[in-house]
Amino acid sequence: MADKDIKVGIGDMKFTRGDNTIITYALGSCIGITFYDPFLKLGCLLHIMLPNRTDPNDPKVFKYADSGIRESIRKLTAFGMMKNRTIVKIAGGAKMFEMKGSSDFGNIGQRNAAMVKKILMEERMRISAEDTGGTYARTMLLNVANGDVIIRTVGKPEKHL
Amino acid sequence: MRLKSYGDMNLQDLDVMKEISSIGTSHAATALSKLLQKEVRITIPEINILNYDETVERIGHYEELVAATLVRMSNEVEGLMLFIFKMDLANAVLGKLMNRNYQSFEELDEMDFSALEEIGNIIICSYVNAFTQLVGVEIDLSVPSSTINMLGGILTVPIAEYGYETDKLMYINAEFIMDGEKLSDGLLMLPDIKSLNSILEKLGIS
Repeated sequence: MADKDIKVGIGDMKFTRGDNTIITYALGSCIGITFYDPFLKLGCLLHIMLPNRTDPNDPKVFKYADSGIRESIRKLTAFGMMKNRTIVKIAGGAKMFEMKGSSDFGNIGQRNAAMVKKILMEERMRISAEDTGGTYARTMLLNVANGDVIIRTVGKPEKHL
Repeated sequence: MRLKSYGDMNLQDLDVMKEISSIGTSHAATALSKLLQKEVRITIPEINILNYDETVERIGHYEELVAATLVRMSNEVEGLMLFIFKMDLANAVLGKLMNRNYQSFEELDEMDFSALEEIGNIIICSYVNAFTQLVGVEIDLSVPSSTINMLGGILTVPIAEYGYETDKLMYINAEFIMDGEKLSDGLLMLPDIKSLNSILEKLGIS
């Protein structure tokens, strides 16, 4: 239901319990990371934009994979999340434009994906499903009632991760 | 450097950018007019310094299907130029070129797509050419790269590319007028912060 949707903007994070849906629109090179603790029905969606926070005084912790994932885990743990039963799924990290002759351009998506995986591994959290890479944007939804994660893209049917 | 982010630009800076953009966009309209062999006019552009969400909302909505052409600037100005076609503009220009009527981007075949990319490239190049002459800088342009996808996803490209420098985008909002109809377009000029400072310095603002 649309009125129950909780929207997560770029470089932001939202978490909730109960019968809500958390959604983030049009992930391009950014990555959406969902955390779901089925025991508590506690769900979280984090939308990171860049791999690492280079300035430790930057207050935008959720903009970066490293600080964003750690801060999300810290907050969720305070609400009772147990890492070993929490389901983690990731989506995004696309390369929207193919630039001839400058291979380094636009691979931020790939770098984001690599950093997300590295940090999650350091945090000892397994990724149970992912939909990353490609050249198209993705909208990501987490249904907190049942933990279902849906990916919406242009010209393809919805996909359940 | 005087400016640390697009958000630091004051009214005078924005006025100067508006002046230059107005000449740039009218050159783009002339180029388009030659290509289509019909009258194309353009409104005076507004320069908007917006964050990601504001830019998306100003142009359309997150999941809206749009076409976009991206060109990279290098040499004395480093940065990106991004031109966004919404369906009404794409239909007006492609329709005239291909002699067809398009309802949605899903109808475009490969030929239509490369024609649209070329139009985007012409608009960007004529804008940048006018810009280089006025400011007196050398700018090299890359070959264009285009896509048709969600507006929100496309705009993450510039915002992530300069994400360590600024959270803002410079959106040049002008409307093409063809056959009495206003057609929305989105031109984003995104010099990196160092280049933005040197552009404004060259223009005598410091």
